[in-house]
Amino acid sequence: MKKALAILLALAMIVALGATAFADDVSELPREETLYFAGQQWGTVLSWNIMGTNQNNSMAIAGGASGYRTLMFETLFMYNFMNGDIIGLLADSYEWNDDLTEISVVLKDAAKWCDGTPVTAEDVVKTWDVSVQVGNTTGTTFGAYIDSIEATGDKTFVIHGKIGDDGKPVNPLKVTDFLTGTPIAQAAWIDKLVERNGGDSVKILNDPGEDVVWSGPYTKYFFDDQKVVLIRDDNYWGQDASMWGKLPVPKYIAHAIYADNPAGELALKAGEVDVCQQFIGNIQNLWLKDGLPISTYYEEAPYGVCLTMPTAWYNMNMPVLAESAALRKAIAIAVDYDTIIANAMTNQSPSFAEVPRSLMNPTDGEQALYDHDAVADLQWAGNDIDGAKAMLDEAGIVDTDGDGWREFNGEKISLNAVCPNGWTDWQASMEVVAAAGEKIGVEITTLYPEWDIYQTVFTNPNQTEYAIYMWSPEAASPSNPWTRVNQFLGKDYVGAENNWSGNWGQYVNEEADALIKQIPLTTDEAVLRDLYTKLTEIYLTEVPSFSLMYRPSLFHAVNESVWTNFPSGDDGRNIPPADCTDGYGIAALYDLELVG
Amino acid sequence: MKNTLRQVFHSSKFLVGFIIFLLILLTMWVYPFLNPGNPLEMIGVGTFARPGTYFSLYDAVNTPAETLRLSDADDKRVAASMSMEDRVAMVEWFTLAEVDIEGLDINDTDALLDLWFANYDSSLKLKGMTNAKKNYYKRLDRSIREIRAADTFTLMHPDEDSGELVKRSDISKTDYINVGQVTNVKRLPLGTDNFGRDVLKELVSATGTSIVIGLIAGIVATFIGLSLGLLAGYVGGFLDDIIMFITNIFTVIPSFVLLILISYSIGQDQRGASVVAIVIGFTSWTWTARSVRSQVISLRNRDHVNLSKLSGHSLVRIILTDILPYIASYVVMAFILQVSSGILSEAQLSLLGLGPKTTEVPTLGLMMNWAMLYSAHTNGSWWAYFPVILTITFISFSLNLMNTGLDQVFNPTLRD
Repeated sequence: MKKALAILLALAMIVALGATAFADDVSELPREETLYFAGQQWGTVLSWNIMGTNQNNSMAIAGGASGYRTLMFETLFMYNFMNGDIIGLLADSYEWNDDLTEISVVLKDAAKWCDGTPVTAEDVVKTWDVSVQVGNTTGTTFGAYIDSIEATGDKTFVIHGKIGDDGKPVNPLKVTDFLTGTPIAQAAWIDKLVERNGGDSVKILNDPGEDVVWSGPYTKYFFDDQKVVLIRDDNYWGQDASMWGKLPVPKYIAHAIYADNPAGELALKAGEVDVCQQFIGNIQNLWLKDGLPISTYYEEAPYGVCLTMPTAWYNMNMPVLAESAALRKAIAIAVDYDTIIANAMTNQSPSFAEVPRSLMNPTDGEQALYDHDAVADLQWAGNDIDGAKAMLDEAGIVDTDGDGWREFNGEKISLNAVCPNGWTDWQASMEVVAAAGEKIGVEITTLYPEWDIYQTVFTNPNQTEYAIYMWSPEAASPSNPWTRVNQFLGKDYVGAENNWSGNWGQYVNEEADALIKQIPLTTDEAVLRDLYTKLTEIYLTEVPSFSLMYRPSLFHAVNESVWTNFPSGDDGRNIPPADCTDGYGIAALYDLELVG
Repeated sequence: MKNTLRQVFHSSKFLVGFIIFLLILLTMWVYPFLNPGNPLEMIGVGTFARPGTYFSLYDAVNTPAETLRLSDADDKRVAASMSMEDRVAMVEWFTLAEVDIEGLDINDTDALLDLWFANYDSSLKLKGMTNAKKNYYKRLDRSIREIRAADTFTLMHPDEDSGELVKRSDISKTDYINVGQVTNVKRLPLGTDNFGRDVLKELVSATGTSIVIGLIAGIVATFIGLSLGLLAGYVGGFLDDIIMFITNIFTVIPSFVLLILISYSIGQDQRGASVVAIVIGFTSWTWTARSVRSQVISLRNRDHVNLSKLSGHSLVRIILTDILPYIASYVVMAFILQVSSGILSEAQLSLLGLGPKTTEVPTLGLMMNWAMLYSAHTNGSWWAYFPVILTITFISFSLNLMNTGLDQVFNPTLRD
């Protein structure tokens, strides 16, 4: 009996060893054919269902802030945030009609699915119809702006924008976003998906989609809780001369799942990661001090292209914050932004002296959209403790009981400043906000819940747990800065459950909302500028939120130990630093070269 | 009592531990007078300034200069902007760009520079050169151009009325100033941390907080352990069974796991330094209880205890006057160890991000936590965490030394 047990144990051990050896096979991808990433995928991939939700599949399914990630699933067009270009991918061209009510789109002849069948207008129509029906990201994002999509031929279709009660289109800008932001799925596969789930929306959204049909240059190869690997599809249609004319260079796209930022950073330093989408403090030390072959898009600070501004939102569900614009502004002007930018961002952001705060990101295109001089008096550079104190004193928010903290309506103001645990640059910012509170006699304590908790609370429209909390508005897309302005001041998202869309502070301002509604239909540039200036004025007066820094929507640090010829600011190719994956940034994959 | 104290201070181990601990306490008391102010004030804009003496460049320009002609000054400047590695790299560039380097001496700075300036072009795209390398050559080019720059910098400032730049003075390569004469000089013996705080100042304040946390944790743990141990040991019977049952349950659950779970469930907004200290105390009393109990069991049948019982003294009185004094020395030693482990527990918890909330007070653990979050250990900013580790080591070393010293004095089996 004992002998049998011993043999059994030995057998079990051999099997276990064999299993690990098998797992090692996958981890031993040929280095010279694999492009390693960090900073995109956290946690195990849940699903490959492009029509679903909650896939946690950042390499294959991710609506990047600066363009859709088109490694596996493709959009009609690619967006290039460097110059605002909209470049054809599955589609060749698009054209608006004069009333801005509909766009006609022509698909590329060469575009094919992985099974060799052509991408047709029918696929686009089916993707749209089912997205609306089941309410996935595409459906909920564009449902309010797109009425229907109609196939007008095998390769041509028309997108009908929603028409408002006044007979005008609701929002042509958002309709343009559809072109660059929506991955298209195959109609035949969608039919299968719907059928096997009996048409049940919830089941369709949660289907793992293992059999999904894709059109992009890569597809799934291996995934577990340690890593996710995509493999090149050598039959990819894009090698046709009408698209890229060749295949992307790396055969494998691999992303190890790191525990946290420092782990990913270490891997980048060791040359185990080629492209790192992570904030790395004092990144210049990697090449100045350590002499590593690491570079960023720009050689000098801010090293990347800042497209968004992480913002501290005031919770308007809390009476003390909702009722006192003076308190909101006082905290905002007391915060030391130079310290945040130098400490939290290690100067990888322009300062608010260089780019005064507004609703715009720091790109030249957006900055030109409002009148800087008209709002100059409302600006603040931060660290204005005396000004903040005077503002609070004037508003009657004073310390009456002598404990050193100010009261509002007889109650001590006690706020928390919240961001997810482990997001170090944001945590440091919240520390600086709290320090500012202490200096002006408003108690602000920091709180760093785990991400899982944070995300359920801050997206809840009725929460009163967090007073000041961080989130970033949209970065760049054809519809920006309008979308971002709407996120800051618009009424659309107020009260929305599970709100990932905007206005996380639940701020309502009818005047601002009316102005926002006019923008998408305005084509006259002078009027547009006037509208944006007015909105900036409201924003800087009411301070429903305050931006803490400017920030790239994607960080882009590359280690050139194995691969080189990554995009950089001065190479004249105009490929955006979108991590070689998003929007037109994917063009980088076609130009990569091995070192030496 | 006097005799005991004399005995204790005769123990060299105890004395050394005591002196170290006293020195730490003394520093905590004296240093804030020398360098007053809020230890959490972010003085540096930027992260991890190196330890050293910083003097204001602005003031330095206004300080009268002396002319010193130092023969090796130029050589040092050349060496600083052009190391041997740089020279080799320059030759590599020449090779890649197919520049003729026949007869070039790598140590001949002038020849190397001449060749460099004649050939280097930052826009040239050389085959096989990575972007990182290209940037390196750009930086090198900038740095060596300084070598050939003019001997003087000209200081200009804008005219108040016209806004035009007016020349103010020249700074020559031979100008030197006396650091002692510069108006604003800031000494940062341990540099600054990721928030730009003075690490030394923060460290001193954090040591204080951590010792207080250790003391509170030690008092709580010792109080609980002592009370339960005395009761279980002296009363015995059913009460002993119950108390030992509870103690055993707490013993089998690893106390650090318990600590993590409790800290997590309390939530960060409730976690002040004292709350964390109390939680630590509540999870580390078990071994005190067990050993006090066994000591009491050996004491409870002594004659003087039985005498007290016969005299009708109350339970509390017997425990306090007839039992406690006999184990007092042991309890003191246990307390010292509890303080030491309390300080360590706080550091461990904070390192996991479960320590006290961060805006209020600095603690040793929080300092390490932030240093770790900002990768101080990988980017070479040793001053942000190493002195903290050293301080923790010294505190627990001194406490443990005191404990061993006491043990030698009070434990008959160890007495020499």
